Amino acid sequence: MTISRRDLIKVGLAAGTALSIPSVLRAQTAPAAARTARMVMGNFTDFDPVFSAAYSSGNHGLAIYDTLFALDSKLMPQPQMVGKWGVSDDKKTYTFELRDGLGWHDGTPVTAADCVASIRRWGQADTGGGRLIMERASDISKIDDKTFAIALKEPMGILLDILGKASTPCLFMMREKDADRPATESVNSNIGSGPFKFNHALAKPGATFTYDRNEAYVPRLEPADGFAGGKVVNVDRVVWDNIADQQTAFAALQAGEVDFLLEPSADLYPAIEGDPNLDLEVLNKAGNVYFMRMNCLQKPFDNVKARQAMLHLIDQEAFMRTTFPQEYISTVTSVFGSHTPYSNDENTGWYKKGGDPEKAKQLFKEAGYAGEKVVIIQATDVPFTNNATQLLAATLRKIGVNAELLPLDSAARSARYRNKGPIESGGWSIFMTFESDYERGDAAGNPTLNANGEEGWLGWPKSDEYEALRAKWAVVKTLEERKSLARKMQQEYWNFVGTVLLGEVVSPIARRKTLTGLIGMPGLTPMWNMQKA
Amino acid sequence: MATYILRRIFSTIAVMVMVGVFVFLLLRLAPGDPAAIIAGDKGTPEMIAGIREQLGLNEPLPVQFVHWALSILSGDFGTSIFTGLPVLELISQRLEPTVSLSILTMILSVTTGISFGIVAAWRAGGLIDRILTVFATLGFSVPVFVVGFFLIYLFAIISHWLPVQGYQPIDHGFGPWLVHLILPTVALSLGYIAFIARIARASMLEVLSEDYMRTAAAKGASSYAMLFHHALKNAGVPILTVIGLSFASLVGGVVITETVFNIPGVGRLVVDAINNRDYPIIQGVLILVSALYVLINLAVDLSYTLVDPRIRY
Repeated sequence: MTISRRDLIKVGLAAGTALSIPSVLRAQTAPAAARTARMVMGNFTDFDPVFSAAYSSGNHGLAIYDTLFALDSKLMPQPQMVGKWGVSDDKKTYTFELRDGLGWHDGTPVTAADCVASIRRWGQADTGGGRLIMERASDISKIDDKTFAIALKEPMGILLDILGKASTPCLFMMREKDADRPATESVNSNIGSGPFKFNHALAKPGATFTYDRNEAYVPRLEPADGFAGGKVVNVDRVVWDNIADQQTAFAALQAGEVDFLLEPSADLYPAIEGDPNLDLEVLNKAGNVYFMRMNCLQKPFDNVKARQAMLHLIDQEAFMRTTFPQEYISTVTSVFGSHTPYSNDENTGWYKKGGDPEKAKQLFKEAGYAGEKVVIIQATDVPFTNNATQLLAATLRKIGVNAELLPLDSAARSARYRNKGPIESGGWSIFMTFESDYERGDAAGNPTLNANGEEGWLGWPKSDEYEALRAKWAVVKTLEERKSLARKMQQEYWNFVGTVLLGEVVSPIARRKTLTGLIGMPGLTPMWNMQKA
Repeated sequence: MATYILRRIFSTIAVMVMVGVFVFLLLRLAPGDPAAIIAGDKGTPEMIAGIREQLGLNEPLPVQFVHWALSILSGDFGTSIFTGLPVLELISQRLEPTVSLSILTMILSVTTGISFGIVAAWRAGGLIDRILTVFATLGFSVPVFVVGFFLIYLFAIISHWLPVQGYQPIDHGFGPWLVHLILPTVALSLGYIAFIARIARASMLEVLSEDYMRTAAAKGASSYAMLFHHALKNAGVPILTVIGLSFASLVGGVVITETVFNIPGVGRLVVDAINNRDYPIIQGVLILVSALYVLINLAVDLSYTLVDPRIRY
C-alpha cells in the first residue's frame, strides 16, 4: 500500500479539524479574552471570608458577597445593602431596611433573617469589632422580611464603622442556612449576593479560581467610591491565577497572559517600569505598617526599659530599605498609623532619624540586662521579615545583646507565636509582622492595639491605664472626641511600649495598560469598576 | 511469574502501610498547627481550640491514626482541611498535568538519551563523543529553573512562539495541550537525557567490547545490525532500570518545573499542603506516589524478560 501526498494532506486536515473541535466548542461558551481579566492575586486556602481573616479570603469575599455598609474613599461608612436606616432618640436601637433587588446567587431573595444570622456568626468569628458588638448588643432580631434591628445596652458611636469595616474578617452577608453553621466551621458553598458568582466548575484550588459577572446583581445608583457606591462590573469574567513564582508571573504579564499582579516583588519594579505596556500603580495609598512585637512576659522584655530600648534602637529607614525602594517607604511614629484620622504626634520624642543605639544600650543596662538570649523569629517566606530580622539581630549584637535568629516557615510560626513560655520551653522574644495602616485606626476592634496582658494579643503587653482609655473608644460620640482620646491613648502607649514600629510602605500593583479603572482601598482589592480594553 | 507478581503486589501494600505510618507520625511531630494557621495571627486561643475540635485534631494520636487508616481502607482519603474538598478529587485534578509532563519528558529523554548514548559509544573518544559528554555534563549541572527561565525568555518573551506558563487539559484540544508543555518538557528533559545518555553509553561500550560483537563484525554484520540487533538488546537491562527509576521519580519530583512554568500539578499541590500542614492531602499524595513508584519498578522488573530471555521469575 502506498500513501500519496494528497492522502497525507487529507488525513492531516481531518486530524486537525478533530483536534480543534473541543477548543471551538469551548470558545462558544467561554467569554472572549478581551472580556476576561486575568489577575494574579496569590493563593487562598479558605473560601469562607468570615471564618478566615486572610486578606486573600477577604478579596474572594468582596467579589461574591455583599456588605450592609461599606467604606468610601474617605473611609466613612456608607449604606451598601442597606436602603434606609435609623437610630432611636436614646441612640441605643438601630433599625436597618434592606434595599430592593437583593438576591442570592441561587435565585432566592436576601432577607433580614439572613442578615441577622450573618451578624451573629461574624460576631463570634471576629475577635475585634464583631465581638464588641455582640458584647454590647442586647438584641439583634428581624422585624420583617426586609427590616432588622440591633438594640444596644448603651450607645455605641462606632457601630456603623464596625458594620462597614474593611479589615478582615469583614461582615459579609451569607444565606441564613450558611450563617447558622458554627463560626469554627468553614462555609464552602460560595453562594453570596455580590457582583460576581463563583464558578465552581472551573475552580482548581491552589491554581485558578473563576468569577463570572452576576447578571442579576442590582448595583446602587451612586458612582463607585471606595468600597461604597455602585458595584458595576465591566468584564464578563475574572480569573485568579495563583502563580507561585514572581519571575514567571512577571513574564506572564509581559507576554499578556495575565493583566494584573497584586504585589510584585520590589526587585521587579525597574523591569516593570521599563516595559511600555505595563504600569506600576499604588492602589492602597495608605499602605502597610510594619512593626515588631516583644514577648512582655519573659526576660528581657518583661522589663519596660528593655522595650523602650528597642524603641530608641530602630532606624526605620534602614529597616525598610532592606526590602523596599526608597520612594515607597516612610517613617511612622503614631501608634494609629500615618493616614488614619487618629494619627497624632503625642509622646513621640523617642523618634530620632537613624536611631539612637547609645540610648538603647543605656536603657538595656537600666533594665538589668544580663546577657539573656533574645530569640528573633525569622519568617523566611516573607521578604521583609526575612531581611529585617537579620538586620535587627546584627544591630542588637552591636550593642551587646545576645540575639539569635530562629528561621521558621509560616505554619511553624503560627504555633510558636502562641507559646508564652521562656526560650527554653520553645518560646520567643521578638517577631515582626505588618498590617494595613487603616487597621491602626480601629482601636476598639484591632487586637494589635490591645494591652490587656495575657488575655490580649501576641506579646501580651499590659497597661490598665491604657485599657481604661481604650474602653471609651466605642462609646465616644464624635470624631473629634475620638481624636482627643487617641492622643491620650498614645501618650500611655509609648510609655509601656506594646509595639515597636519599623516603618510604612506602599506596595504598588503591576498591570497591563489595557486594564483600567481599578479601585484603590486599604487591604482589599475590589474587582468591580475595572475595564479591559 | 504469577507468584512473583503476587509477591511484589503484597510488598507494594506493605510499603504503602509503612509510608502511611511514617508520614502520619512525621507530620504530627513537625512544628505547626493547621488550626492556628486557619485562625490567623489574630485568632484567639478559644477560636483555635474550637477549630481543633472541629477538625478532630484534639483526639489522641492513635485514635486519629485509626480513623484515618480505616477511611483509607474504605477508599476515602479524607477531605482537605482548608478547602473542604475530597483529597482524591484534588489529586485527580492535579494528576493529569503531572502525568502529561512526565510522559512527554520520558519520551523525549528516552529517545534522545539512548540515541546520544549509542552514538557516543559507537564513536567513543571521537569528537561526537566529546561533544555529547560536554552536553551531558551541562545537562547534569545546570539547574532546571535556570534552563526554564532561559527558555521562557527566548521562546515566550522574545519570539512569542510559545506561552510563558499555564496548562491546558488535553480535552481542551491536543494543540493547546502540547504547546503549553513544550518548554517545561524540554527544560525538565535535559537532566534526564544526560543521565540516560551516560548510562546508555557505558552499557553499550561494555557490550561492544564483548567477544560476540567481534565475531559479528568478523562475519560482516552491518553497523546497524551490530548496534541495534546485537548490542542494544544486551545493554538494555541497565538502561531500562534507569528509565524506570527516572519515570517514578518524575511523578513525585517535578515540583520545580511545575513552579517555574505554573503548571498545576501534584508537586505544587503537595508543597502547598506542606506549607499549610494540610495533613490529609500530604498523606494521600505520598501514599499514592509511593504505590506508583513501587508499581513502576515492578513493571520495569517484568520488562527485563522482554530484553533478556535469560531472566526468569
